[in-house]
Amino acid sequence: MNYFVIIYYALLIGGSCLAAHYKKREIFLLLFSLTLASFVMGIVGRESALWAVSIGAGLLALAAGIAYSFREFLIIISGPLTARALRTAPLTAAFGMFVIFTYAVLGIFAPIIAPYGEAEVISQSFAPADENMLLGADQLGRDMFSRLVYGARNTVGLALMATAIAFVIGALLGMIAAVKQGWFDQIMGRLIDVVMSIPSLIFALLLLSIFGTNMIILVIIIGIIYSPRVYRLTRAVAGNVVVMDYIEAAKLRGEGMWYLIRKEILPNSTSPLIAEFGLEFCFVFLLVAGLSFLGLGIQPPTADWGSMVRENATLISFGEITPLIPAAAIAMLTVAVNMVVDWMLHRTSGLKE
Amino acid sequence: MDVARIVLMRLGLGLVTLLVISALIFGAVELLPGDIAQSVLGQGATEETLAALRTELGLDRPAPVRYLSWLAGAVVGDFGVSLLNQSPVAEVIGTRFANTLFLATYAAIIAVPVAILLGVIVALFRNTIFDRVANIATLTSISSPEFFLGYILILYFSVKTGWFPSIAKVSDGMSFFELLERTFLPALTMVLVVVAHMMRMTRAAIINLLASPYIEMARLKGAPGWKVITLHALPNAWAPIINVVALNLAYLVTGVVLVEVVFVYPGIGQLLVDAVTKRDFPVVQACCLIFAATFILLNLAADIGSILTNPRLRHPK
Amino acid sequence: MANKGNLLLEIEDLRIEAYADEKWFEIVHGVDLTLRRGEVMGLIGESGAGKSTIGLAAMGFARDGCRISGGSVEFDGLELTTTSEADRRRLRGSRIAYVAQSAAASFNPAHKLIDQHTESPVHYRIRKRMESQEDAMELYQRLRLPTPREIGFRYPHQVSGGQLQRAMTAMAMSCRPDMIIFDEPTTALDVTTQIEVLAAIRDIVNQFNTAAIYITHDLAVVAQMADVIKVLLKGDEVEEADTESMLKNPKEDYTKSLWAVRSFQRSQKQRPGDGVPVVEVANLDASYGPVKVLDDISFDIHAGMTVAVVGESGSGKSTAARCITGLLPPTGGTIRFKGQELPPSYLNRSKDQLRQAQMIYQMADTALNPKIRIGNIIGRPAEFYGGLKGTNLKNRVDELLDMIELDPSKFYARYPPELSGGQKQRVGIARALAADPTFIICDEVTSALDQLVAEGILKLLDRLQKDLDLAYMFITHDLATVRSIADEVVVMKQGKVVEQGPKDVMFKPPHHPYTDLLLSSVPEMDPNWLSTLLEERGVDNIGEAASS
Repeated sequence: MNYFVIIYYALLIGGSCLAAHYKKREIFLLLFSLTLASFVMGIVGRESALWAVSIGAGLLALAAGIAYSFREFLIIISGPLTARALRTAPLTAAFGMFVIFTYAVLGIFAPIIAPYGEAEVISQSFAPADENMLLGADQLGRDMFSRLVYGARNTVGLALMATAIAFVIGALLGMIAAVKQGWFDQIMGRLIDVVMSIPSLIFALLLLSIFGTNMIILVIIIGIIYSPRVYRLTRAVAGNVVVMDYIEAAKLRGEGMWYLIRKEILPNSTSPLIAEFGLEFCFVFLLVAGLSFLGLGIQPPTADWGSMVRENATLISFGEITPLIPAAAIAMLTVAVNMVVDWMLHRTSGLKE
Repeated sequence: MDVARIVLMRLGLGLVTLLVISALIFGAVELLPGDIAQSVLGQGATEETLAALRTELGLDRPAPVRYLSWLAGAVVGDFGVSLLNQSPVAEVIGTRFANTLFLATYAAIIAVPVAILLGVIVALFRNTIFDRVANIATLTSISSPEFFLGYILILYFSVKTGWFPSIAKVSDGMSFFELLERTFLPALTMVLVVVAHMMRMTRAAIINLLASPYIEMARLKGAPGWKVITLHALPNAWAPIINVVALNLAYLVTGVVLVEVVFVYPGIGQLLVDAVTKRDFPVVQACCLIFAATFILLNLAADIGSILTNPRLRHPK
Repeated sequence: MANKGNLLLEIEDLRIEAYADEKWFEIVHGVDLTLRRGEVMGLIGESGAGKSTIGLAAMGFARDGCRISGGSVEFDGLELTTTSEADRRRLRGSRIAYVAQSAAASFNPAHKLIDQHTESPVHYRIRKRMESQEDAMELYQRLRLPTPREIGFRYPHQVSGGQLQRAMTAMAMSCRPDMIIFDEPTTALDVTTQIEVLAAIRDIVNQFNTAAIYITHDLAVVAQMADVIKVLLKGDEVEEADTESMLKNPKEDYTKSLWAVRSFQRSQKQRPGDGVPVVEVANLDASYGPVKVLDDISFDIHAGMTVAVVGESGSGKSTAARCITGLLPPTGGTIRFKGQELPPSYLNRSKDQLRQAQMIYQMADTALNPKIRIGNIIGRPAEFYGGLKGTNLKNRVDELLDMIELDPSKFYARYPPELSGGQKQRVGIARALAADPTFIICDEVTSALDQLVAEGILKLLDRLQKDLDLAYMFITHDLATVRSIADEVVVMKQGKVVEQGPKDVMFKPPHHPYTDLLLSSVPEMDPNWLSTLLEERGVDNIGEAASS
């Protein structure tokens, strides 16, 4: 027993008692179950486990604080309508927006932020971190941090482009099918069913084995592989809009297909489609990362998070966490996007009621 | 329409899909700039060697004929000969496929019950703080690339503590428990991802179900909570739950590729990646066909399962 | 309905809140209610009056997103707002039962009817399983369900809507509760089916001397069922009185206005002696896939006249409209417009042909694009057909908004979700007028609206018809609407025209048997109407009459 452990338990138990006293049932349950869990962890993992819990809690609090301030900041700088929507955002979504914002800044200003060039060899391989290199060097002696920053541009940029392609193809065809119905819809439906019954990673591997791993080909292949998913969603969303009487009224008026899509269907499908764009981006991003990790995605010397993990994986067996940083960067962005999407989906489903 | 006919139609549709897929997989290789012989021998090959290899591989026959003979072979497990070492593809795949199935089953046996149980619990405690914590946890898990989770597990359960081996080497002579121990970390990696996916889907399905009027009616009839769940919700929950399970099993089968590479596990996923890198097309085709077939079969099973558990179809008018 | 017992339910100052937009809103503002044993109270009000919410609160139940925030609910000496959830639950099903609006959705699709019936009595150990099954069959018999000994062994989807509603009433009776909450039990049913359910419910409630709260928006229905009527408006009580005096002399203005609605009637026009009809439907057949939905129907619609097409669900009245507009190309027969034959599909019709026939929809919510401003919704047909632009277009839209009695300066820039139901329906009318049509199909235009609002719409349509010499095809299931607005009536049943003619002739005997059934099944305000009708038809025949 030392002061840390005593203060640790005193805080938890005191907090539990206060929560119970003020009938904050949920907070009490959380704190008290954490206390009980700490007993077990304290016995198994000794003091260091409790330290880990405290650090975790501190980080969570920090994230919550950042999220809260960022949301308030956004509310202040945005217009009244957006501000009203933002006020309903939970802290998780605000945190997601903050992360996305940070990544965007990193990606756009990569050459300014990164201290060294993308492929610049500045030291020995696997050199440890020093005052010049924040995260040390990679297997060829390039600056890890700089490559991480450039990776934000390459990996995210590629995934964004692929998602955009998937969206243009999928959403357009989906809306046309919803409006036209009949044989076009039928054939597209069947075709999509077939394409979607090949797992996307496998499909990507098959196509890459044939066409090679050129950056442009990669973007196009991934875009095409994911367009059926977008098609399905758009077809479903637009299908819900198309049965509305106002579409029938417009059809009976003699309006053409483009008018229907542009003026009647698109404005009523934007929010689910934006949410889907986020979700789809996550899938595409993970696939790109996975392919790069397998050595079949973005090719060296271009900095990319997936291949950075693979190239530095040997460090793990020495107990180093450096190779996990690019992987964590991938996870962080996906989590962030998912959190924002979660909130948006919740909002669109809530508005229907 | 009676159930048997619907099931038969669904089976037929599955078969047609499989056929189309096989044609697609075969046809994709035909899109190769030049042909297989060209890409094997490279630019410097002379006309004679090219022609010789073409005859050897049977490339001089027209594509439809080659497709049919490839398909006929595939049906009986003969996928041709590997371009790299001339050994039959079936031989290369054989044990590796069994290994992959073993790993996927291992993960599924742990993941399915845990995920469904947790999913139902979270659905019942929806909008409480536990639900929110679970939401963030599962979101984080599904957002992480498999190799991230895999390396974290290696770092903490292998390198730092030495509890489990970091490389999942398996060989024939191993006892079953040894096998389980060796493959524990790769299995756990997949369990983490799949449990998160499944929990979220189960939660959504149950909440959707609990909003239906007959559940409100059951509560207004005074049925206690456990009865509402077991008697009124569960019989209608089979279809969505079967779907969730099948979808995730299908996911397991493909997610295995990355996990196998992380843990250097001798499965079919690893083989596929190697074959893609080395452009060994017969192996690529065979692996893709096997993955796609498994995927289609699982989806088929899910569809048939939900048809069979639908009271409207089971008891037609 | 004499011998009312002592107090059973006493609700005082009941307040209920609902959660929306991250805030709690009060939706029931302090309602009192007392119910004696064996008494039937009718709760009546328009949508949003809080009837269902109060009904559920009488069971100590609040839906997800609602909470009882104040007042007391005392059931037979037990205070439901403060007692434990377990105690409240024990009352439900055993002493207080509930009959839901949609039996089809409220029966569990996975279990047989009889298993759902016996669940509560077995759970509460009131009856053994076999006894309870016997009891169910007896109740089915009393409720005049066909084959009472077998019907319980079917699954919900194997039984028709009217029968399900009666089976649900039987289920509510399974423990012989002291009180039943009926939540709009006949709203989703056709009029001819409604009668059998009404009669069955009334009989069984009387036989077992069960107290009941009967929730509905239909005055004539509540007049048949209730001893006492309570009128609600937006979560407040308007007034309460016994049925007789409430019908004879309502005190409050709001109640009077509800009663007055059914009095609107315009004079009937006769067909012009000669002249080509605007729309001429001849020997029309249509089918959805292999199912034939229209069988040789013919009728004419003349300029400036309203033809009401009446029928129950599945009669093909909306399909007829879809054929005329060209959405469903008919499989046989012709449609002439001013003597000229129309192409079967709207895709092959000329812009002018499309312009002349317009449509107004039942659900104004789905008929207007929520993302387009009112001004643009109304302006688009004028722009599309008339080629109007800029100020001309703006002036035309303002003129149209004036015509439908909406202030252009206020409404031009608004979006549909900001409007009330009646206002949206008016915008729908204006959009049809913007095309400058000669013929308008009105598809159940008033059935989704509250009565007062519906009345306003009918008057507006009548005025527009006079001003613009429009021909209307008025599709409806509501005979009261037919009575008030039609010149001619077409009665349809199962895809066939049963009878047609001028309104005065149609509403006078002799009728076709189906027209007769339809007419006599419409509930009237007279509290003795149901009893008289049942006597006339003979109690045992009622079921067959409706299902034949």
